[in-house]
Amino acid sequence: MSETASTMPFTTVKPSILGLPAIFCLLLVAACAVVVLNVCTGAVAIPIPHIWNILLHPDDTIISSIIWDIRLPRAIASVLGGGFLAVSGLLLQVYFRNPIVGPFILGISSGATLMVSIVMLTTLTIRLQIMSPIITTLAAIVGAYSVMFIVVSVAAKVKSGVTLLIVGLMMGYLCHSVTAVLTALAEKEQIKGFILWQLGSFSGFKWGEIQLLLILGGGLLILIYLLSKPLNAMLLGEEYALSMGININRFRIFILLSACTMAGLITSLAGPVAFIGLAVPHMARMIFSSSDNRILIPATLLLGGVVTSLCDFIARTIMSPVELPLSAITALFGAPIVISLLMKKRVQL
Amino acid sequence: MRATNTVLSCQNLSVGYKKSTVLSGINLDFEASQFISLLGPNGAGKTTLLRTLSRHLAPISGNITLQGRPLASIRQSELAKVMAVVLTDKVTPPLFTAFQFVALGRYPHTDFLGRMGKRDKEVVARSLSAVNAENLAHREFTNLSDGEKQKILVARALAQEPQVLLLDEPTAHLDLKHRVEVMSILRNLCATQNITVIASLHDVDIAAKVSDKVVLIKNGTITGWGAPEEVLSSSDVAELYDFDSACFNSQLGSIELRGENNREKIFVVGGMGSGASVFRILAKSGYQISTGVLYNNDLDCYVAESLGCKCASQVPSNSINNTSLDQAMEEMKNCDWVIDTGFDCTGVYKNNLQLLTGACRHGKPVISLGNRDPQLFVGGHLAHIVSLAQASELPAALERN
Repeated sequence: MSETASTMPFTTVKPSILGLPAIFCLLLVAACAVVVLNVCTGAVAIPIPHIWNILLHPDDTIISSIIWDIRLPRAIASVLGGGFLAVSGLLLQVYFRNPIVGPFILGISSGATLMVSIVMLTTLTIRLQIMSPIITTLAAIVGAYSVMFIVVSVAAKVKSGVTLLIVGLMMGYLCHSVTAVLTALAEKEQIKGFILWQLGSFSGFKWGEIQLLLILGGGLLILIYLLSKPLNAMLLGEEYALSMGININRFRIFILLSACTMAGLITSLAGPVAFIGLAVPHMARMIFSSSDNRILIPATLLLGGVVTSLCDFIARTIMSPVELPLSAITALFGAPIVISLLMKKRVQL
Repeated sequence: MRATNTVLSCQNLSVGYKKSTVLSGINLDFEASQFISLLGPNGAGKTTLLRTLSRHLAPISGNITLQGRPLASIRQSELAKVMAVVLTDKVTPPLFTAFQFVALGRYPHTDFLGRMGKRDKEVVARSLSAVNAENLAHREFTNLSDGEKQKILVARALAQEPQVLLLDEPTAHLDLKHRVEVMSILRNLCATQNITVIASLHDVDIAAKVSDKVVLIKNGTITGWGAPEEVLSSSDVAELYDFDSACFNSQLGSIELRGENNREKIFVVGGMGSGASVFRILAKSGYQISTGVLYNNDLDCYVAESLGCKCASQVPSNSINNTSLDQAMEEMKNCDWVIDTGFDCTGVYKNNLQLLTGACRHGKPVISLGNRDPQLFVGGHLAHIVSLAQASELPAALERN
């Protein structure tokens, strides 16, 4: 059968140039490299041997605090957060069988933002301040679920992919407008923190939040990977998936809940980050020449981490000491990817 | 025809959607390794019935049993090993080779991560070869033609190793080559792999030729059920599809389209199949057709009847008798033209030559499609005889004269 493949070169699926394990190793190395890069750069110049020393033997100095409390959590959070966002996007693309969806496009991030703004900008916070990270996370997830619920019920009625996108965008605008009203009415001190959060950034991550990411996100991720087989069957649509033996209702709810939980979790901690969930799954498909979710789930996780960290690095350093909003950088590379996909007709709406 | 052969059966089944019943009173027993076609006009409920059988849709009332067990009680994963479907949904998964696509059909048989063992790969390869698509194995699915895609979709269903295969309009949108190929593939599956194939089809003529059983669906119920030879009579098919300008001929298993019948009357002298294409050409152009004398076992006779021609016919014998000839001659006198198909005038249709000479005698213009000896028309008006090389030139010749 390999002979037939060589006689039809332009219609075959090109196997990746490198083997699968090699690409995965490269991605893993890249992820580690970006973390190192992010730890080594910043407003305060610290020589690399010194950093190494501090990593091995933390002490009470300011330098140690910069590395352990600021740079390292941020570097790790951007890798994890980016990876989770990308996986969330992948799940949504499989669910809707629409390649142009992601948590941001469908308004899920905006829903999360709205709920966070309610928590952060209203007096609710004063009483609940102690539990803040958990509360904002819960609020974000609730916001994500609500928007998702609306989008899904509309999607059930209209089959058109374009309509789905427009509904998602409209939900995004609606949430933004409510958020804007809340911002206008809120007190000055509260606004500052919210505006910073809303720009999207992995700065100010605490170890506790990273633990939350690891436990909740990691647990979900394992579950998602175990369900990569039915996810593959979903590529043929729900009807075929059902005929191959999948309990479609349970599975559908699981995909949506986990995609929203992931997106909501990241949004609550890092603010809305655009395009990672949309563009990274496509980059992974191109790199691996595959739609097999058994490959794509780990691939988007790693690639999402690398890309997001790199964007974070650029946002931090390119106009230093001014830090650019993360979404500005992710959109800069994400939007052209989407347009080029549409131009190449790789994507049908 | 033992009861143990029944794979799938419906008792008092009603199918439809939440608010409206589409079909009711369905009692059918599908036997193993048979090809069953569901026929009926668009919107009759063929797809609804198929979707109910495949459990995509819950029945409104009644029972379905699969291999003696109630369909509703079978686990989804177990059902997938017994029943597979080919749907009309457009499927466009990116970056899948045909082989990988077919491999998705191994879903119910592989482990929780979907890893393919040696046997799984063998089944996929066998499924590809069952649909004559080994050469497509490494092509990307989205780049295949509609016909090739359909074959791969069938192969994917086969990879589930089903005993029952349900197909919704498997030949829609296919060109003739692939339509015939897909049907013969399905036919083979019944014969060689003992799969029961249940398909909704649009082409009555193909269905009549490949099916063991047909189900006629119309007006919310089953109007006919049985072997196509019994069920598909001309009138049944006409009723099923509300034909008025077409006719299904059960002996030939084909559909003839009747013409408008609003132009001049033409008398055709033919026989032994020489008239069939002439009838069709004339019917297309809207001429009224009469013909004779034909033996009633002649192909021309079947086609003429399907097209609604006036036909003087008699029982087969060594020669045309005079009674029939007179009858035909009378009919011919009312016609504006006479066409000679160039039939073999040396054998059993020899006496029909009298119709041609008679035509000349009565001054009817004659168009001849054969190289007749002018001697035959001695005494006639030779000026009225036009010789044509091909039947397709007929309408133009009729217009000219």
